[in-house]
Amino acid sequence: MKILQQIKYQPAKVVGGYTDRILRVNLNTRKISIQELPPDFKDKYTGGRGYALKLIWDETKQETRYDSPDNLLVMSNGPLGNEPGFPGTGKFIVGAISPLTDTFIDSNVGGHFGPLLKLAGFDALAVSGISREEVVILIDGDEESISITAAPAYDSKTDKGALSFGQKLLKDINAGEYSDSLAAVVAGEGALHSRFGIVNSLFFDRRRNRIRAKQAGRGGTGTVMRKKGLRGIVVKSSLPKANGNNAIDKELVRQAGAKLKDVITRCDPAQLNLEAWGTTGLSEYMNKFHIFPINNYQYGQSPEAPKLFGSVFLDKYFSKKLPDGCYYGCNLACAKGVENVVLTRGPMKGTTVSVDGPEYETVAAVSNMGIFDPQFVLEYNWYCDEYSLDTISMGVTTGFFMECLERGFLNADDIGYDLTFGNINAVDRLLHEIAKGEGFGRVAGQGVARGKKWVADKYAPRNNVSVDKVLAELNKFGMEVKGLEFSMYVTKESLAQQGGYGFALKGPQHDEAWLIFIDQVHKEIPSLEQKASALKWFPLIRTWFNATGLCKLPWIDVRNPEAAGTPEPAKNTPTLAYYVDYLNGTTGSHKSLQDILDDSERLQLLQKMINLRQGKGTRASDLIPLRAMGPVYLNEYQSRSEYYDGWLQENSGNSNLPESTEQRLNLLIEKREKAYQQLCDIVYEKKGYTSEGIPKRETVINFDLMDEQASQLLDKFGE
Amino acid sequence: MVVLIELFGMQREIAKIGKVKMPITEKTLVRDALEYVRNRYPALTLDEASILTTVNHELSPLDRPLKANDTICILPHIGGG
Repeated sequence: MKILQQIKYQPAKVVGGYTDRILRVNLNTRKISIQELPPDFKDKYTGGRGYALKLIWDETKQETRYDSPDNLLVMSNGPLGNEPGFPGTGKFIVGAISPLTDTFIDSNVGGHFGPLLKLAGFDALAVSGISREEVVILIDGDEESISITAAPAYDSKTDKGALSFGQKLLKDINAGEYSDSLAAVVAGEGALHSRFGIVNSLFFDRRRNRIRAKQAGRGGTGTVMRKKGLRGIVVKSSLPKANGNNAIDKELVRQAGAKLKDVITRCDPAQLNLEAWGTTGLSEYMNKFHIFPINNYQYGQSPEAPKLFGSVFLDKYFSKKLPDGCYYGCNLACAKGVENVVLTRGPMKGTTVSVDGPEYETVAAVSNMGIFDPQFVLEYNWYCDEYSLDTISMGVTTGFFMECLERGFLNADDIGYDLTFGNINAVDRLLHEIAKGEGFGRVAGQGVARGKKWVADKYAPRNNVSVDKVLAELNKFGMEVKGLEFSMYVTKESLAQQGGYGFALKGPQHDEAWLIFIDQVHKEIPSLEQKASALKWFPLIRTWFNATGLCKLPWIDVRNPEAAGTPEPAKNTPTLAYYVDYLNGTTGSHKSLQDILDDSERLQLLQKMINLRQGKGTRASDLIPLRAMGPVYLNEYQSRSEYYDGWLQENSGNSNLPESTEQRLNLLIEKREKAYQQLCDIVYEKKGYTSEGIPKRETVINFDLMDEQASQLLDKFGE
Repeated sequence: MVVLIELFGMQREIAKIGKVKMPITEKTLVRDALEYVRNRYPALTLDEASILTTVNHELSPLDRPLKANDTICILPHIGGG
């Protein structure tokens, strides 16, 4: 490959989980540099998401957009990533200013890239600028060199894809051999032509003897990558992975890891059995409780849903008896895969591929388009990965346009074909159009927020109504907040999860708060006060996982039997105690769980300040679509009238309900909107915000974040 | 008098059945329903700390008495990804 720039360097040794170095690459100037971090940097910003937040706070501006040269693409693991003795340590985050939200986004992803980056000597990589030609970055810890090379050209099909290109690249630069000492991040042509491009994280799986892929799916980080002219990044290090963090107290780390592995081994098979089913098992439970999205979240249950239950994928598709961890040492091993899938559609029709997945979110994205075909799920999964499209945003955006067609806001001529719920051929066509930036794909690839405006501009003049009036109607069922499409849970029956989506700083992704089961099914948080407390606590602990390089599933989806004897079993604190030990053993700190929560609160506050600067930080930005609160239209109410009638009875002092369904629907909407606003008031108070959702000056000072930029920003908002 | 016990996901796969009818008396508790399933399908562990039970879609303690035609669901804890 043609080297455009190269430096030699001495990789820093990892000590206590850190190297205290960030690799900086400016693609405008092709300057490669190494930033040494002051000792207190890690104490304040932890790692992972924290490092990305700090860099983006300092180095981007209000005017920065996803395709601005000063936008940063940050990848960072965290101090606890890279320990095979502890489950789930292969995670890293990809952070940037998002094409969808115009504010900070990060997406966490598994694989070997984050751990290898650290072994190669870096806590984080930050890429700025835009390259004049398509390039690849090579970080070679063995050869002690960092290079920017011209992106190799293989053949037209390979070069457009992510999986195809990445597989060739990883072999190409390692003398024709795959190796688990190398990993890559890549994005395909769909990332270039849409706003919801993903970053694929590729690694060599010795057991399957092939390259596997995990995805940083949310918010368009792959789009940022491709807009920078960056085709891929490869990292290499042959250093041993065992004790890769050079832990300060190795015995404490060993003990903590052994305890967590023991809980997983004993409990997962009798609980969700993620080791066998992956996350596809969730479909059945979500469908049971009206949480499984059908037809743009209109319904939460379908008689056709069993076609997409986990048992279908287990029986017919998943390769069984393979420990499928996305990093070494994880005995939860939920990264399932399907081999020998023959594509029946699209430009690769007839090709046999391996599919990494599907995960629950992809399955539910397909049901959200009214499709219940497991073979299509696999093909949708593979094409989205290859093109580098977020399966969630694609499914939600498509569902939105389908409903626009169904309700007469669009006609088939606007789209060019019959994009109706359940129409596999139409979805298949749209998928390839989005990836290639052709036809209606150019519109749909912009996501729901921009799609609403496009629909309103079409509909308003035709019907002699104002654009604003149409937008107001579309806002009711266009499932986005802050510009990001919802992830795949119907929240009509869980106020806590409505808040979990509305207050999520990146937009409605469930990795900040997934409270739907403990609220709606367990009924562990019945009062507004309890819901608000959960909406403060869970995002804090979940943020910590994203700052340290850890997967949350071993904590949150394997209930430790000892939790049953604790005041709040859903917090699973007996397992969290292992994580606290793991942190202290690795870094040599003496932190408590509360210290960890405090560290996370600083990061949450910093993210909130970035949102405020980017125009997504006020109370108005936390408003969710009406459909997330309850039914918008009569068909939704009628499909679940027993529940809604009962809820109205319970919340109206058991007074007589209005006679007509329409009146009941209106009453329900009024009460749901009021409840959400009440929740906002209590949550903001708990978080140290004003009633307008602005952080109070004292809150910012308490967490030592009051720099000049923060002060001016708060002045601007009257705080 | 009978009640209906529903199994889902992995538990349904292990038991090879999704719905089980169980005769009850006036003294039958939710805990007894668990025992009934365990006895009929020994491969199901149904550790009480690892599952939750609902009766007629309401979370229910194990010492709740059952009534004729109740529906009991046995579920794992789900914390979300």
